[in-house]
Amino acid sequence: MQTVIKTEGLSKTYTNTAVPVHALKDVNLEFKEGEFTAIVGPSGSGKTTFLNVIGGLDKPTKGKVVIDDIDIATMKESKLFDFRMRHIGFVFQAYNLIPVLTAVENVSFIMLLQKRPKKEMEQRAKEMLEQVGLSDKLNTRPAQLSGGQQQRVAVARALASRPDFVLADEPTANLDTESAFNLLDIMARLNKEENITLIFSTHDQRVIDRARRVITLVDGAVDKDEHFERN
Amino acid sequence: MRILLTLAWRNLWRNKRRTLITVSSVLFAYVLATALLSFAKGFQQQMTETLIRQETGYLQIQDALYFDEPSLDHTLAYEEEVKEALAALDDEISYVVPRISGFSLAAKEMSTRPAMVTGILPEQENKIRNLSGNMVSGEMFGADDDYAVIASGLADMLELGIGDTLILIGQGYQALTATGMFKVGGIIEFQLPEQNNTAVFLPLKKAQWYFAADNRLTNLIIMPADTDRIDYLAGALRNRLDDEWYTAKTWRELMPDMVGLMEMQDTVYTGITWIFYVIVGFGIFGTILTMLYERMQEFGILLSIGMKRFQLGLIAFIETILICLLGIAGGILAALPIVYFFQIFPVEFTGEMADYILRFGMEPVFPFLIDKQIFFNQAYTVFGITLLIGLYTMRKIYAVNILEAAQN
Repeated sequence: MQTVIKTEGLSKTYTNTAVPVHALKDVNLEFKEGEFTAIVGPSGSGKTTFLNVIGGLDKPTKGKVVIDDIDIATMKESKLFDFRMRHIGFVFQAYNLIPVLTAVENVSFIMLLQKRPKKEMEQRAKEMLEQVGLSDKLNTRPAQLSGGQQQRVAVARALASRPDFVLADEPTANLDTESAFNLLDIMARLNKEENITLIFSTHDQRVIDRARRVITLVDGAVDKDEHFERN
Repeated sequence: MRILLTLAWRNLWRNKRRTLITVSSVLFAYVLATALLSFAKGFQQQMTETLIRQETGYLQIQDALYFDEPSLDHTLAYEEEVKEALAALDDEISYVVPRISGFSLAAKEMSTRPAMVTGILPEQENKIRNLSGNMVSGEMFGADDDYAVIASGLADMLELGIGDTLILIGQGYQALTATGMFKVGGIIEFQLPEQNNTAVFLPLKKAQWYFAADNRLTNLIIMPADTDRIDYLAGALRNRLDDEWYTAKTWRELMPDMVGLMEMQDTVYTGITWIFYVIVGFGIFGTILTMLYERMQEFGILLSIGMKRFQLGLIAFIETILICLLGIAGGILAALPIVYFFQIFPVEFTGEMADYILRFGMEPVFPFLIDKQIFFNQAYTVFGITLLIGLYTMRKIYAVNILEAAQN
């Protein structure tokens, strides 16, 4: 399988605090195409920092983040915007849909920024909303959707533009059990069907139980990297 | 671009009440400023036209030295050169009003008073200031009559009535003594006390005879066919007249104090309108800043998923401009009928204020002026202020820290 992301000697130290905080310490990881990975660890272990750095939202203090043979750690901010838009999908804990756009418009949004043809875009957005079970909510705005439904729209948005990988920061944290399982089923199915690499940061055992790879971070360093066979 | 416009438009209505309040503040400032300036300009226009008609006309041909030393020695010869110049510009000229005037002493028996003696062609003079309409007794002379019309204040002071003899003594052209006795054939009333206590009118020919200035004029007033072409007409006349002897001056050149007063008024009114706009500007600024800070997390997310800072900044910029455009559009729609109403039904002063205004020869009735320039200027001003606020919002968005904003 092709390597999608590779980190080499990745370190991140925050110095704008009273005492320097070493959020990541020499992290060397590879993520293959189609992997379903959970990044776990206690609070402050560096999960979110790791996602931010491999998502190009934050710069490492040391090391490389190689995606598509490019080290994004050295990329200029203006190029990173474009890179994120074309290669990375994001799912956030608080859904973060655009409140003034309908579900189908939210899902189309990134494709719109990518200037995809209108017809292709509409078809793909509808298809994705159908995949996440919201074909009857195409023209509904986020405020009229439940938390679970909003997160499913967010997943559809992240996957619609067919990114190289999707980063999800605690996506089930705000969901009830039923909604969380529902979302995980959808994500697992899409992971298989679309062969998209999914990387979660999570505390949620329900997510961990579904992941085929679980990376445990402790104090910013990789403590365990386990692979599981799951259906 | 369409999605940016859609987002901006829908964002505006996320908090309808706040948007409507902000749009209303722009609207009210626009209406207040436009109404104030329409009134001020209407007032100014009426004042200017009154003065132009009573004093200088829109344009005058004078002797080259008369403006600096206004004496009978600097009267102009109304000769072929002048007449040919006027004939050549006939299309540009509505009519001309010749005058000769100078100070003299007016007397009856042992009483004397200073008087401003003016020789006029009544038919022409009536076109510019309807003197005949102000007669209180007797009648206005014709061009070939030989009697005088005097102002009521002077008549009272000298105890002159219709049929009495007015004696005038003064200095004529080139230091000749001017003396004359004229029957009083009419009494005229002016609201301005200075004018009412000094004015004496004679038929032009009689006045020229009295001042020993045959065929000479102190000023030849030109009423242009189009008042917007005064400067052109003045220039064309200057080109056709020998500048050693003649000059053509516009009312702006003839009444520099008046122009200075108008400029001062303009400055005051502009200052007042700017106070409105500064208040409104801070209102818009406050609203936009609140909108920005409320949506900081959303901005962080949008930037995270790949939206460019420029695109996001443009959305916020368009939102600001839309608020302004809605305010201006509403302002124009609200201001037009108000200004139009007060043009048809002008502000009318009564009582002491009316008497005071009448003393200056103006009617105490002030119609608003409908001038598209006033409407445009207010729109440009509001737009300019909003543009600055819009640029500030863009700058703010360029400075957003994506991580901090997204985790807000």
